[in-house]
Amino acid sequence: MTALTLPARALTRRRTRTALWSLVAAALLVVLTGVALGTGQVDIPVWDALRALVGQGEPGNVLVVQQFRAPRVVSALIAGAGLAMAGSMLQRLFRNPLAAPDTIGITGGASFGAVLMLAGGASQQLIPVAAVGGGLLAALLLGGFAWRSKMAVTRLVLVGLAVQQGLAAAVNLMIVRFPAELASSALQWTTGSLYGRNWTEVWIGGTAIALTAIAVLLCQRRVSVLDLGEDSAGGLGLNPARDRLWLLLLTITLASLAAALTGPVAFVALAVPHLVRLLAGPPTLGTLGLTALTGAVLLLSADLLVLHVIPVHGLPVGAVTATLGAPWLLVLMIRQGRLPQRSS
Amino acid sequence: MSSAKTSAPSAAPSAAAGPDARPADGSAVTAAETGGANRLATRGLGLRYGDRTIVDGLDLELPGNAVTAIVGPNACGKSTLLRGLVRLLDPAAGTVTLDGADIHRMPARTLAKRMGLLPQQPVTPEAVTVEALVRLGRYPHQRMLSPWSKADQAAVEEALERTGTAELRDRQVDRLSGGQRQRVWIALALAQETDLLLLDEPTTFLDLRHQLDVLDLVADLHTEAGRTVVMVLHDLGQAARYADHLVVLKDGRLAAAGPPSEVLTAELVETVFQVPCRVVPDPETGTPLVVPRARVRGSRGAAGSDASTGADASDGSAGSGATASAAPAAL
Repeated sequence: MTALTLPARALTRRRTRTALWSLVAAALLVVLTGVALGTGQVDIPVWDALRALVGQGEPGNVLVVQQFRAPRVVSALIAGAGLAMAGSMLQRLFRNPLAAPDTIGITGGASFGAVLMLAGGASQQLIPVAAVGGGLLAALLLGGFAWRSKMAVTRLVLVGLAVQQGLAAAVNLMIVRFPAELASSALQWTTGSLYGRNWTEVWIGGTAIALTAIAVLLCQRRVSVLDLGEDSAGGLGLNPARDRLWLLLLTITLASLAAALTGPVAFVALAVPHLVRLLAGPPTLGTLGLTALTGAVLLLSADLLVLHVIPVHGLPVGAVTATLGAPWLLVLMIRQGRLPQRSS
Repeated sequence: MSSAKTSAPSAAPSAAAGPDARPADGSAVTAAETGGANRLATRGLGLRYGDRTIVDGLDLELPGNAVTAIVGPNACGKSTLLRGLVRLLDPAAGTVTLDGADIHRMPARTLAKRMGLLPQQPVTPEAVTVEALVRLGRYPHQRMLSPWSKADQAAVEEALERTGTAELRDRQVDRLSGGQRQRVWIALALAQETDLLLLDEPTTFLDLRHQLDVLDLVADLHTEAGRTVVMVLHDLGQAARYADHLVVLKDGRLAAAGPPSEVLTAELVETVFQVPCRVVPDPETGTPLVVPRARVRGSRGAAGSDASTGADASDGSAGSGATASAAPAAL
């Protein structure tokens, strides 16, 4: 029984590393949130900004922070976390390091659904529902086109990018014909942006994203077993095809809800899982938490860049992430091309 | 990926089999012994991939508390049968029962607590450590929110100990040798704590030393840990040595079943494998040993003389280094 008391060293090491990086990411998140709430046309000291967030201090500060800055910051955090988690899940479920909601068309589908709903004159509360519908539609298209190739690694992304572009074109077409009062939201649905978020959107989207994310976290053992291949997973009591489909639906929902909040922001979902793998090792329950934190930090940082560093007024955050993301995707594809194809 | 499959039975590797080779005396498992648990049976079993029928009308009774080997030529449906037995394939016809209960009516988790599987080509997740991998064997015993328990850890430790992989626990599985990796995968199945273990060609891609290591481990799992084992094997000599019960398939149908000493005859090997041969007692264990006839120049399958050197014993077993001194020339 002495074996029981021996520490599982490698596992412990990886867990410690994950925990440490999670702490770093959480600290960054708090600092960046403070900075984001404090900076703008009126600069407020970070501490005052954080107090204003909970309704303390100068009424003017409270108004600026609570009504204008906080919804945007919270949207960035929630959507970043959701997108990153969705990316990590997709990469595992497809066994494809290039899979992400924006490389396989999901965020494009979500935007399409949202824009269709707006064009139809429906209320804002229905946007998340429409986005999920659009995301599922994109997944159906992807499945229809890519299924025959058994979701081969690069083929999936080729078809996915085509689906994404096709749906983006449809979005553009509809936006051109938007009534004037909706035209301002065009940026959000074409490149992804965080301008003009309000609490209604944040509450609805945030709650839905949180619930979906919890469901995803609860399924992590199942995902780990699925990683062993269909036969082993079946031998361990899963129904691999059914379970994979369910997890895929859950992930698509998560990504679509995130996209309902920010539009099709690129790069975050693709890059964060790779970054986390470099920092903390292969995916586990713990690293998925770190992935969410990192995604939140990354999207908020990108938004801070957009607002305060890049001297272009009204630049959407999606433009920054896409600029960073395109070369990253290229690098990944080149590396993938060099690797001998693994049989799965 | 089936490059290592052999079409001819290899000469049994008598040289490398030390005294610790398990003396499978080929005796039949008595009815009293099999009266207990873990008896797999099929009734009129038909298995298909798409519209291709692989296994047809198969009636089988596998003894409990024994080691069963399923053998047969390439594409005879051995692996398909194994997949059917663990419910990875739904039968197109007939049933599979475990101790009389239809496995397709059991909850998946219940079945996974009774049967463990080592697939032919499991997928090793990238950078996963040995211990993390073996832990996944506990999946059927865990509930969604249940924390990792002492029982879980104990099962993992026992599995690591028994397979001799405890000292590898911190290593990455994808950096291990083929033999080590196979032992790790067996450890995963052991951590599942099932009475039944089903192994699909556990020795493929391994050299002779590691083949024997794996088979000895399997034998120990039966004799020491009381596991019932069903495995698909390629090598008839190894199957005869290590199995109590042999199931011979040909074209998806049962060609013969029973103790190796009764089943493995020259006529059977010739009909099933199209290999003219003699069956002699294994000089080490006394179990049947298939010795293909020597090739006489110009004529295939001519009857060999007593002076058969076994030179053409066509040892094609998976990458084995068993070329030396494997011939039963002394007979």
